[in-house]
Amino acid sequence: MKVKASRETIYQWVCDILKREFQLTDAELSLSAHLIDDLDLDSIDAIDLSVRLEEKIGLSFKEEDLKSIRTIQDVVDFIDARLG
Amino acid sequence: MQDAAPGSPLSGSPSLGFAAWRRLGRAWRALRTGLAFAMFGILGLGLGLVVFPLERWRARGAPADAVERRCQRHVYGVFRVFTALLRGLGLAEVRIRGAEHLLAPGTLLVANHPTLLDVVMIGACMPQLDCVVKKSAWSNPFMRHVVSATGYVPNDLGEAVIDACAERLRRGRSLLLFPEGQRSPEGGLGPFMRGAAHLALKSGRPLTPVVVRCTPPTLMRGQKWYQVPERRMCFDIEVCKPIRFQLGADPAEPRAAAARRITSDLRDFYQKRLHSFER
Repeated sequence: MKVKASRETIYQWVCDILKREFQLTDAELSLSAHLIDDLDLDSIDAIDLSVRLEEKIGLSFKEEDLKSIRTIQDVVDFIDARLG
Repeated sequence: MQDAAPGSPLSGSPSLGFAAWRRLGRAWRALRTGLAFAMFGILGLGLGLVVFPLERWRARGAPADAVERRCQRHVYGVFRVFTALLRGLGLAEVRIRGAEHLLAPGTLLVANHPTLLDVVMIGACMPQLDCVVKKSAWSNPFMRHVVSATGYVPNDLGEAVIDACAERLRRGRSLLLFPEGQRSPEGGLGPFMRGAAHLALKSGRPLTPVVVRCTPPTLMRGQKWYQVPERRMCFDIEVCKPIRFQLGADPAEPRAAAARRITSDLRDFYQKRLHSFER
């Protein structure tokens, strides 16, 4: 099921998942935060993140999609474009 | 000698100065090291080009697992010859404690990685040992035959590596991982990747930590084989009791969080061990 959401809401979803799954804090999270360099996610985490987002939003991520995603901004843009 | 007065019997003596002896000693050591490595290279090539093809031919139709185990046993043989050579040529001294923890099938080992040789020293104690190897080895003409015949795991990214490793553990094969993913920085410990923790979570196996110390530092990242240390290398390898990492009190703890916790505990363990040795 697809849902409608503003970019604000999408950002909030992504942050909630990051906090719950990877024990990140609000202080570390911003739109410009780099998933690997700043948030120390690895390739397995990237899969976990996409699985959680799929559960939440009903979008499926392909491997190529993940490759182009670097920052939280990229995640939000990607979801926004797909939902729009 | 520098104090010898002009005209004294010492002054124009043809004997070599201390520095020259040292250089000579070093060259002699480099020569013996070169010999040991050349031998290692030849044995390695022999495995890849002669022994492994023969094993594969002999085992036509046999399950891959059996062939890979036999090939790993040959690698063990080469490692043993090489370590015996290093010892025999007076290049290295090896001390291993806790080797009894290596015996159980399906042991999941982790080790720090101060030198290129630690994998050889550990492998020389284990007739069967799987490792995760740089993916580029599968396209390296010298390494290709060895890594494919032994069923070593290429370090692709992500879940696939964990699954491949877990599958080997399930078959009762022991496996060695270097959580740093590359050689340790001099005298220290690099950041840990979380693959070992994920594998422990997935397979339910305890982690058996191997603490490697090598003095003087040898064959570190960026060092060439001929940059030999001035004295005999001393390897101290301590196989510690397997550590069963508790799953978190919270059953809903996401695996990413658990992997972070385990990785950080494991790195603390290594920090303490390496630090306690320095004192």
